[in-house]
Amino acid sequence: MSRTFSDKVIDRHALGEFSDTIQRVKLSAVVGHDATIALIVDEFYRRNLSIWDPERVLFSNDHFSPPATAERADVSNKFLAFARECHIKHLLIDRGIFNQLLIEHRLCQPGDLIVGADSHTIMGGALGACATGMGSTDILFALATGTTWLHRPRTIKVVFKGKMCRDCSGRDVVLDLLRRFGERGANYRSLEFHDNSDEGLSIDDRCAIAGMAVEMGAKFGVFIPDEITADFCQGRDGERPPELLRPDDDAVYEDVIEVNLTNIGPLVAKPYTPANVSPISEINTEVITTALIGSCAGGRLSDLRDAAEVLDGRRVHPHVRLVVIPASVKVLRDALQEGCLEKLLQAGAVLNQPSCGPCGGIDKGVLGANDVCVSTSTRNYRGRMGHWNSRTYLASARTVALAALAGQIDRGLYSV
Amino acid sequence: MIKGRCWKFGDDVNTDVIHPPEFFSLDANIVRLGLFHGFDPEIQPQLRRGDIIIAGRNFGCGSSRETCVRSLLLNGIGAIVAVDFARIFYRSATNNGLLCIMPEDPEALSVIRNGETVEISLGTSAILTESGDRICLQPIEPFVQCILRAGGLLSFLDPDVSNKSVQKSQNLIV
Repeated sequence: MSRTFSDKVIDRHALGEFSDTIQRVKLSAVVGHDATIALIVDEFYRRNLSIWDPERVLFSNDHFSPPATAERADVSNKFLAFARECHIKHLLIDRGIFNQLLIEHRLCQPGDLIVGADSHTIMGGALGACATGMGSTDILFALATGTTWLHRPRTIKVVFKGKMCRDCSGRDVVLDLLRRFGERGANYRSLEFHDNSDEGLSIDDRCAIAGMAVEMGAKFGVFIPDEITADFCQGRDGERPPELLRPDDDAVYEDVIEVNLTNIGPLVAKPYTPANVSPISEINTEVITTALIGSCAGGRLSDLRDAAEVLDGRRVHPHVRLVVIPASVKVLRDALQEGCLEKLLQAGAVLNQPSCGPCGGIDKGVLGANDVCVSTSTRNYRGRMGHWNSRTYLASARTVALAALAGQIDRGLYSV
Repeated sequence: MIKGRCWKFGDDVNTDVIHPPEFFSLDANIVRLGLFHGFDPEIQPQLRRGDIIIAGRNFGCGSSRETCVRSLLLNGIGAIVAVDFARIFYRSATNNGLLCIMPEDPEALSVIRNGETVEISLGTSAILTESGDRICLQPIEPFVQCILRAGGLLSFLDPDVSNKSVQKSQNLIV
């Protein structure tokens, strides 16, 4: 009794104790991508290791997809050769960002314990999986043993109530959390999201919230699985998840926070940290050169839909480049079918291949010294998206589209 | 005993500041050269083996790119002392045998001057500064100690380990 959600998930996967505070756990799945897996290939071969269970591994080449330089092509080829030689069951080539692909894949189930070689693996929490990002050495160990070591985290319960306003999305909700917690307010914690909102948050909104939990330092950012989760899994897998695990009613939390969605308006994170949050109504005007709708934080169907609604029949400001990168090929195809991509292209957007793009400063769309960008991507740390002097604001897809029209970020974006 | 010259940083030093994405590479030399390059390109060429990073809260927040830890190691950084660490960074550093330590008193690191040489004694769990200040350190978690003593997490995968505590942990793994 008195167990939080992450306590229960860890209990179910516990294998023993390395010390009083550190647990050894077995993993439900391990995920990785080209950039971070390529780093461990030589070591893996040198030690003559094998993958503990290739059926429980999902790899995607999302960082260099397709590669832009000869060096990255070599990285990509090394990764692909390794994945094929190890018979990785779920090797998804040029299909999109792995965090998104994990959500779209039946490998990710409520109650699972998943680790991945990318900090935004935490997004699996949208479906009620305790998922967390780790470095390459941890992932090598996890691939070889199917286990890892972890501290049992303290848990902060976050209860969503009320009704999200029409202009807002999950991105605004997570920016509100970043405003409350700051960059380290949830360090090492499990953020347990209880969705008691009037209409229930969509899986897309939950992804936006869970994925950015890492920007507050969280180990897990996990939604308690509910009927919305079950319906999503039913649609994806053709069957309901075997079980919807819940925390005990008398679970002990470090803190309990209520978030009334009704009170949240459009928010923006100013340079140079995702926690530098301000209501759009209080922002100082700054002319922009670039707008990005993409990344695992903001390239989903609902994001493209919101942007298309804003841009329908209008033209992006002539001094702004609007880059659109769907988070996965599925998102791209759904957006094509729905017609929202057509609206974005008519408005002047440039479309890139589903991948991480310029979010990590590595692929098409990176920023120069004088660029100012408004973006749905994950982080606006100094230098992350390109030149050290470039500046990035983080916001929802709707806000990005409005700024792309106006050619600037300003407090009046929503009053036009 | 670790003795080295200190480089002082503030709070929330993120991975893009530690190691800009443009230096992501499988080439160790490129990875080495990228350390703190965007923040201050003058730092890396001046680094000497055994130098120590002193930082505030949440050192290493952000990405999981392990090239950050690799670059610190390739530049010979002897230890990182911070008020606290971001979790992915702490794990990756530990897994690769890079010592991350925290003071008992979060304010205590303020007496350390940029560029001064300090001694870290794990035996007495303290830092001694040039001017004679003594900063008490938090004890290192036993399993983390075990990983560090083994020379990194992957040593647990070695078939012939002599260290007893590693063997004990290994029994849990194999």
